[in-house]
Formats: sequence, C-alpha cells, structure tokens
Amino acid sequence: MQWLIALETNSDPITSCRLINIFRRKGVGIVTLAMAARPQGFSIITVAETPESEVEHIYNFLRRVEGVQHVTYYRHEPQGDASFVFIDSEPQSQTLNRVLQDFPGAKMVFGSAGKYLLEIPGGRDLAGAPAEVLPFARVKTSIPQPDLITAQAS
Amino acid sequence: MPLKQSGSEILLESLRREGVDVFFGLPGGVVLPLYDALYSSGVRHLLVRHEQAAAFAADGYARATGKVGVCLGTSGPGATNLVTALTSAMMDSIPVVALTGQVPLHLIGKDAFQECDTVGITMPSTKRSFLVRSASDIPDIMHEAFKTAVSGRPGPVLVDLPKNVLMEPGEPTYFNEQGMEKKERIREWTDADLERAADMILESRRAVLYVGGGMIASAAWDELRELAELANIPVTTTLMGLGGFPSEHPLSLGMLGMHGSYATNQSICNCDLLIAVGARFDDRVTGRLKDFASLSKKIHIDVDPSEINKNVRIDVGLVGDARQSLRALITAIRRRKDQNPSPAARQQWLQRIDSWRGEHPLTYDRYSSAMKPQYVIETLSRYSAEDAIVSVDVGQHQMWTAQFWKFRQPRTWLCSSGLGSMGYGFPAAMGAQLAFPDRQVIAFVGDGGFQMTLNDLATVAQYKVPVKIAIINNRALGMVRQWQELFFEKRYCDTDLNFAPNFAMLAESYGIRGRRVDHRADVKDAVQEFLSDREPGLLDFWVDPSENVYPIVPPGASLAEMVVEPPRVLAEEEVLDDLWAV
Repeated sequence: MQWLIALETNSDPITSCRLINIFRRKGVGIVTLAMAARPQGFSIITVAETPESEVEHIYNFLRRVEGVQHVTYYRHEPQGDASFVFIDSEPQSQTLNRVLQDFPGAKMVFGSAGKYLLEIPGGRDLAGAPAEVLPFARVKTSIPQPDLITAQAS
Repeated sequence: MPLKQSGSEILLESLRREGVDVFFGLPGGVVLPLYDALYSSGVRHLLVRHEQAAAFAADGYARATGKVGVCLGTSGPGATNLVTALTSAMMDSIPVVALTGQVPLHLIGKDAFQECDTVGITMPSTKRSFLVRSASDIPDIMHEAFKTAVSGRPGPVLVDLPKNVLMEPGEPTYFNEQGMEKKERIREWTDADLERAADMILESRRAVLYVGGGMIASAAWDELRELAELANIPVTTTLMGLGGFPSEHPLSLGMLGMHGSYATNQSICNCDLLIAVGARFDDRVTGRLKDFASLSKKIHIDVDPSEINKNVRIDVGLVGDARQSLRALITAIRRRKDQNPSPAARQQWLQRIDSWRGEHPLTYDRYSSAMKPQYVIETLSRYSAEDAIVSVDVGQHQMWTAQFWKFRQPRTWLCSSGLGSMGYGFPAAMGAQLAFPDRQVIAFVGDGGFQMTLNDLATVAQYKVPVKIAIINNRALGMVRQWQELFFEKRYCDTDLNFAPNFAMLAESYGIRGRRVDHRADVKDAVQEFLSDREPGLLDFWVDPSENVYPIVPPGASLAEMVVEPPRVLAEEEVLDDLWAV
C-alpha cells in the first residue's frame, strides 16, 4: 500500500542515516522523500510503498529507534475524503498556492523544496485535484498534540 | 572554581560514577592518553588479546550481572574488531557500552592513519552511537549511553572518542545517579487489554507459556514461576530464556524449536493458548511460520512494540516491561479466584504432555561405550555448583548443552543466540568470571569455535581468571557437517578440522592446566578434578564424532514434522527378520 511517514528526529544526523538504512533493510519502497532541518533536529517525510501487513510493524519499529522523537503515519486515500494532502511538486511550482486558495484553512505540517504536507480541517473530497496532490488520512501518531502551523501563500 | 580534568580523566571518572568495576580492552595509538590516565586511576581494566574478546567479555559480564558491560578498542581496526560482538549484543538485547578511540576531530574524514567511520559502521549494530566533540560533554554522553543501553529493549551503545577530546582539558559536571538506575520502560497496555488477557488465560484448557530473553532482561523469573504455578501452565523457554525457569520444575518443558524436545514442540502444536513473554517468534523457534501454534490464541508481552504482530498474528499484545506486566496479570487472575481455571482440563493437558515425553524422551545412547558429548555435558552439570555459570559457543555442543544442562538459576546461561557467533563462549565466560570471581564459570566450546578466540588463553593465564574450558572436540565443524550429512547428501566439504593443535598442550604452554580425555570411563574423574580448584583449566573431550543433534526440525518444516531420532541402522538379524516377515 502507499503510505506517508512523517518523522522528527534529534539533531544528530546519524539518526536520519539510521532511518534511511531501516527503510532499505525493511524493504520500504521510497516513492519520494524530503528532509528539512529544524532548530531541534530534522524532519523527514516520505511517501512509501509497503505491503499492508508490514506497515504497523514498521511504524512501531521507527518509533522505538533511539533519537526519533515522533512518528506519524498516513494512509493514501485516493477515493475517499482526506484530511491531509501531500504536494509532491517542483520547488518553483504554484501548486501549493492553488491548494491554499482552494482550502483557505489549510495548515502546513511540513514544507520543503516543493514537498508539502497540509492538514485540511474538516476533510474535503479531493477528486479532481492535480496529480501532484495526494490525499491522505492520518492513522497513527506518537505526537500527543500535533504542532501545526498555518501556511502562508507565497 | 570548576574542576579541570583531561578528557581521559573525565571519562574514567564517569565510568566509575556509572558503577563500572571492570572493563575490557586493548590499547592503541589514539587511546594512549586514556591508558596514561588509567595508569593511576584505580579503575580495573583487563587487557585482552583481541578486541572481539573484549566485547564478548563485556557481553558475558552483562548477561551474568544484569548490569552494563564495558569494552574498549582503539580507532580503525580496534573498532572494527568490536563489530561482530556488538551485533551479537544487538540481536540478543544485551546492554553493552563500547568505547572506541578516534583520530583527532580535525583529521576525521581525511583518511588519517587508523581512521574509520566507526559511528557509521556500527550504525545498525548499536542502539545509539555518539561522537564526542568536547571533553566537557563526556559525563552527559556517558550517562546517556548507560541509560540508553538499559532502557526499553536493552542493547549496545557506542561512544567514539577522538584523541584530542581525550587530551583536552574540560570542566565536567558529573551526575550523582547512575544512568543504569534511570532505565525507562514504556507501558502501553490498558486495563481492558490486561483483563482480556486474564480472561483468555482463565478460559484456556491447553495453555503454554513461551518465554524468551526479555523475561531475563526484566528479571521477571519470580513472576513467571508464580503465574505458571497459579494457573498450572507449562513453561517452554527459547535459547535466550534458558535459566529463567528451573529445568527440574514439574512445569518445565525445556527448550522449543528446531532442537526442542518432542513433547515441547507437540505442546506448541496442540495448545489452545500461547502466552509469549519477551520472545520474538524467531525462525529457529517457529519452523514453518504458518503452522506455528496454529490452534492457539496468542498473548504477547514485550517491551518492544515492533515485536507485536511482527511474525505471528497476536490476539492480545501487552507492550511493556515483562515483570510489571506479569505482576499485573497475576493480580488480575488472583482477583477472580472464583473463576478457577478448569483444574481437571489443565491436569489432562499436563498428562498429555507427559505421555509425549514418554513417547520420545530427550535422550541419547546412554549405554554406548563411545564418549557421547551429551554424557560429558550431563556429567559436568551433575558435578558443578548450584550457581555455576555456563557459557557456550555456537554449534552442536551449544544445542546439547541447551538440552542436557540442568538450569537452576537465571543469569547463569551465556549464549550468542540470535547472531550465533562462534568464538563467543570462552571470552564471555571470562567476562562473567570477572563479575563473579568466586563462582564456577564453565565455557563449553567446540573445537571450531575455540580456535577463533583461543588467543585469550593468555588473558586468563595472566590475570588468573579461573574459567574452566570444556572442549567438545569432534574434529569437525559439527553442526555444518550435520547439515551436509542430512540435507546435502553427505557431501562433506571443508568441515573436517582434524588439523588442529593439541589443545591440552597449548593450554599448558600458557601455564594453564590442560588434559585430554579420550574415554568415557575417564570423564567423571576428569570432571571432578577439573572443578576442584580455583585455577583456569582446560579439558579436551574427544567425543564421538558421529553424534548429531536430535530432535531436529528440518529447514522449512513445521514443528510437527520434526525428526526425533537419527535413522536407525538395522542390525543383521533385524534385516533378516524383516526379510522373513516379507
């Protein structure tokens, strides 16, 4: 199945290396991946292909890796309503602006170099959205209260 | 005014404050400042002859004590020589802190002499690895390293120490508490999960407790025994769980899996409830996965959430410390005293297991005139002390010891179980002996594995470490040869070890008493003499080389398809009887 994994790590780059190595070893097929530095560490977001039976194990494995602060995983919902969208575009693309216009209350969870994860309050039907906009539903998170920031249209 | 100390002094003081009473290592260029500080520090260090032995010794120390074992290697080859042992500790969840020297910070990445990317190389072999950048950071990092090693699912942690950090002055702020004392274990189960598990136990008629190394790591052996006796449930242990439940307890089933007994594996195949505690449904335990305990519901208690549903579908997963979880489960069951688990059904189940024991007991040819390896192990078990610690290498002798040694206490079994690293047994025994100088520590090794780490005979001789080495010598890489015999049409390729040193004479050359034992009749006397003193010693038992490990579950087969005994060669009269019968 296609799923999206969002990870926050401590500031030691070796933790991110471990995670990439775990993806390799556990057979997580990376469709797209983005990484951004934060003051407290790194954020990694990846859309991945994994057999459905393995997803829960990998989520649990990732959340117990030393140096990983939080893990959240989202399931791709190509047909149904989704409360999150992932934009997988080129850095100069205007897709983000279009999505923000369509969903003015959207909050940005992650943003870096054309890859954005947005929460769309209330959920919306995204049928007809451009191909680089992928709808997701959040399944599990180790974050008690997700820290979301309102995105500004550029 | 803050105290100024060198990085090396800070490191040694941090080790002392973390409760380290001994560590194992071998010096080299970049760690010279550390050894210089060690000279007058009063911290005990054991000079090994190869860094792999240092890490295996730290592992053995950790398994025997439940504390963190510490080892040290210099940069480059010193560090890479630790990797096998760290990987073994990672597989078996053993808390080890490995210290490695590193080239000075300004030379990292410049291909300096004896430089290697230690943190990168050990990334998958450790829980966490640190590169220290300042002497003042050392107390924090060491504290975190010890805490990490014991927290959650325990495991090895590496601290890489550049030479300039070891030399520079720093202003340390030490901790008053040890990192080991701050271990954290998550608890994710709810009361509803616990009640459901208790219901399942009370409703079951043919339950089995299946227990692994997690039970030892959380010191849950008293709770295990209490639960087993309370609900009258038989207990099987994995290779990692041996010692956690007494072998001679009436509810003991011994080891399960590839070389488990017929009764044990039958009980797994026929149980209606499997309660896994700190075990990971390893392929050597389960055989063909889809047929493993297929008639049962399953409860799984584990501190690592990623173990639940990893290999086998679980009905109730209790993520948490084994000891706390078992205690809560016992309380929940006791609370419902009136819902007594059907005693008659439980008794019938135990009787059925007994009948399987009777059909195919775990045995060998006890009347053979040849010196059977199992006989040697049984004899050593019989004459050893109640609290003796036994260490093994990997291969046939390992499985025979797991089958025939009488385990009486927890933390008396040292075994590289997951990685299966030959060369482990002897240095691990050395580490355990350092922790318990007054107890018997016996290293069972094969003639193959022993040749991988026997250079540390010099270490035990130098420090008079009274380890007893019992070589189960079948002049072969026995387990590999067994597989060639059974599964590769007896095409024996490179498993013959007839070209080997005289181990007894080799021991003597190090100043260690050595003796070769060739005959069954000499075993008892040799063992009694061997165990009678407090000196290192070596016995080289030339056992029957044709003996194989049975029962065996062939690769890819289910536990029900186990082969319980070797194909019997018929005597001439039996062949004639068969012909007449036709």
